[in-house]
Amino acid sequence: MNEKRIKNILKLSGICFVLIFSLVPFIWMVIISLNERPDFLLHEGFRLTVANFVDILTMGNLHFLDYLKNSFVIASTTALISSLIGAVAAYAISRITFTGKTLLVLTVLALSMFPQICIVGYLFKFMTNLGMINTYGALILPYIAWSLPLALWIQMSYFSRIPRELDKAAQVDGASRLQTLFKIVLPIAAPGFLSTILLLFMFCFNEFLFALMLTADHKARTVPVGISLFQGLHGELPWGYIMAASVISCVPVILIALIFQRRIISGLTHGAVKQ
Amino acid sequence: MLANQKVYISLVISAFLIFGCKPDTARLTFAVGGASNEIEFWEKIIGEFTDSTGIAVIVLRQPTDTDQRRQGLVIPLRSRQRDPDIFLMDVVWVGQFVVADWLEPLDSVIMANDIDIGNFFEPIIDQVDTYHDKLYALPVYNDCGLLYYRRDLLEKYGFRSPTTWQELIESAVSIQERERIKNPYFYGFVWQGAQYEGLICNFLEFAVSNNGGIIDSGGSMIVHTPQNIEATKLMHDIIYKYSISPPNTYTEMKEEETRLTFEKGNALYERNWPYAWGLHNGEESPVRGKVAVTVLPRANNGQHASTLGGWHIGISRFSDRRTEASMLLKFVLSYETQKNLALMLGWNPGRSDLYEDEDINASVPHLNILKKSFENAAARPTTPFYTQISDVLQKHLSAVLSGESSPDEALLKAQHEIKETLKRYHE
Amino acid sequence: MSRKIKEPVLFILPLIFFIVVFLLFPVLGTFWNSLWQDVSFIARRFIAFSNYVRLLTDGRFWQATLFTVMFALVSVFFEMVFGMITALVLNAHSRLRGALRGIALIPWAIPSVIGARIWQLIYRYDYGIANILLGKAGVGPVNWLGSPVGAFTSLVVADVWRTTPFVAIILLAGLQTVPDDMLQQAQIDGANLFQRFFKIMIPLIRPILIVAILFRTIDAIRVFDLIYVITGGGPGGATTSLSMYGYKFFLTGDFGYGSAISVILFIIAFLFALLFVRIGRLRA
Repeated sequence: MNEKRIKNILKLSGICFVLIFSLVPFIWMVIISLNERPDFLLHEGFRLTVANFVDILTMGNLHFLDYLKNSFVIASTTALISSLIGAVAAYAISRITFTGKTLLVLTVLALSMFPQICIVGYLFKFMTNLGMINTYGALILPYIAWSLPLALWIQMSYFSRIPRELDKAAQVDGASRLQTLFKIVLPIAAPGFLSTILLLFMFCFNEFLFALMLTADHKARTVPVGISLFQGLHGELPWGYIMAASVISCVPVILIALIFQRRIISGLTHGAVKQ
Repeated sequence: MLANQKVYISLVISAFLIFGCKPDTARLTFAVGGASNEIEFWEKIIGEFTDSTGIAVIVLRQPTDTDQRRQGLVIPLRSRQRDPDIFLMDVVWVGQFVVADWLEPLDSVIMANDIDIGNFFEPIIDQVDTYHDKLYALPVYNDCGLLYYRRDLLEKYGFRSPTTWQELIESAVSIQERERIKNPYFYGFVWQGAQYEGLICNFLEFAVSNNGGIIDSGGSMIVHTPQNIEATKLMHDIIYKYSISPPNTYTEMKEEETRLTFEKGNALYERNWPYAWGLHNGEESPVRGKVAVTVLPRANNGQHASTLGGWHIGISRFSDRRTEASMLLKFVLSYETQKNLALMLGWNPGRSDLYEDEDINASVPHLNILKKSFENAAARPTTPFYTQISDVLQKHLSAVLSGESSPDEALLKAQHEIKETLKRYHE
Repeated sequence: MSRKIKEPVLFILPLIFFIVVFLLFPVLGTFWNSLWQDVSFIARRFIAFSNYVRLLTDGRFWQATLFTVMFALVSVFFEMVFGMITALVLNAHSRLRGALRGIALIPWAIPSVIGARIWQLIYRYDYGIANILLGKAGVGPVNWLGSPVGAFTSLVVADVWRTTPFVAIILLAGLQTVPDDMLQQAQIDGANLFQRFFKIMIPLIRPILIVAILFRTIDAIRVFDLIYVITGGGPGGATTSLSMYGYKFFLTGDFGYGSAISVILFIIAFLFALLFVRIGRLRA
């Protein structure tokens, strides 16, 4: 009885902690974005306005919509291509025996540990030589490579749970390996494939350092860089705009997080825990 | 099986083709930046340019923060991008951009477009824009540090505008104490102390006005001198000992933060560039009509000093629209555009002939102060490695302002690191 | 026979292509660049290990290294504590469980730059909410980012906020593998709540704990976004991480030295990884 009460109190305070901890800073962002001035607590108090949202969506020279479009195109293209490449490779690794397999997996994993700064300087020169700085490709190509280890890792663990008998049956029926993958294995592992795409989308949507170094202006600049450099567009840090832009940019990732939380969590834990 | 592979491979290939697409470079791109009124000005000027020439121009809006703005140019230039075609540069970048071979020499542009160099301040053209007898840039506007003050408050409390740092501190301490009763957010003096290029500009003024500086007569860099140590100590004391500058001076105060603090009525003195004048007297400004401007204070035995700033226009060597760009350059430097710049923004034009213009003298009353400040202008070093040196100095000055390091120790370390840097690169 | 060799090659070729061209080459290229004096405006020349020798006497480099390691250790420690609390809450049976999980994901899901912007505004000296609340409580405003300790703490708090959900979700997967009957048996045997947590749960989920620590440490060691936005590396360079320090050199055009710093950062990340794997094996 006594212990049950302790447990309940702990549980309740834990829930409160999670709610406050996760939500309060976030709500503060929404409040600022809907306010006329960021220092309203010192002055006349809360004055509701949607002007910040209207401004960032309509003022062309703030380029916020460009950033948003760039982010969407870059993140979704990367997520799709990387997940596909990862699926094919994961299938080969989990189904076909060939020499150097373990070495390959370990190398890919080890490479995923590299801090981004270790490759961004070289990438900058590389993209410069290709004349690709400030294009979508300058981000999509490194993003694919950077997200592939994760794509491979998650899907390997999904595929390894699908019985090999299914493949064998399909191959007896005359299907090629690739047909087996796309018609039999991938449909069964669809949840895993979806988790992979969602996770990769979020990773690329949020990435900062590559985007900072490899883009120069609104033609390819993504949302995080745009928001970090909003500074000065209107002189002082335009907090209203920054927060309005942040709220809008958070909507897609938060929707994904809330709707697909099961998928994402299983993706993350397949990636992290199956070791 | 083959069909499947084909689909897969063609998918990968087509993906590559998509990435290969180049962005639109068909139009002239002009990179500018700054506060909102500056952008409005440029958009208006570009509109006039397009109306008269039929050349469409994209205005590329850059951040106001100088370091971020520099990065916005360095990335496309280093990668030889065709855009931006024409841009504004801070005075300290011109030397680097020239050495890096990113700027189109302007001598032929000037000949072809009939631009008279005699209409510009000769010392500035010589010091900033000319390298090995070739001209690479021209000043759009000249900047120098100024002291803004609240005329009404000085009158109210019976002080004259300060000519020495000591006078500034005394009046600020006294007025701040009494103004705080009504306004707890009031500070005596706001300036740019955050860790960025602006800190160097402010430091230079403290130092040179105390007979210090960062370049000796032989042109080499000397920072660890008794005069500079004294100046750095003064910067520290203004925040800590006299408490007339806010504690966030060294974390958050850049140009716009100081301007807004002053404009809200929360400061007595402000160190800023000429651009703040027009904004302080804007229609919605609470301090409108209460502001005056003068040269920055000096040490008791020193000279007035003002860091030379300003923005110069240049054309990218990688531009694919050089003819159009040189037309725009001429337009921006024309008498009319420069006059608009002075009238609309309250800035001091790059052209010297405008300083005699009656309309401008009527609307920008401090033009003579600016002229005087140019005579005292303290230039920053023109080495191509200025950014690295500035970074070293910023870090150590910031350590003094945050109380982590003594002026003596910080400047000694800075001296050492600057020497090492230059030695390494010049070997 | 030939089909057997060809197929896996074809299947993993795209993967290998991307990894080699955009990860492996850049990493090797960075190491190669670190052996050169490669500065904008002057001729590139081979200087072997001189950049590394320069690192040894570079006070700012050591300051950045110390900061990076301290930041990683302190923030990962708190992330583990808060992550465990969150995981226990999420693991508890409750009607809110699904919603709670979604909510806990928010700080992690949003771009780190946005999280950093939120905290930057919270810490603002003149009208940040932290100082306004302190003011209401009668305590003077604090310049949160104005002292090395303050800036360090502020960054740790922001980082802990952002990454605790990630830790929680990984730990949650571990907690779910702990069989309920084992806990019930222990309860019958008289073990109290805390004993059951420390004596049964923790040992059972140790492998996952190690994975979580490993992932987070490697991630915290490369911290960049947060610092770039919140402190810019200040005050006086006190919060400059190695990533930030390296970036400064890339930005100002000293690619050789920037590359040398990056290589050291990689080695540090690698050593930490080895260390944790070792510790995990010894205890297990």
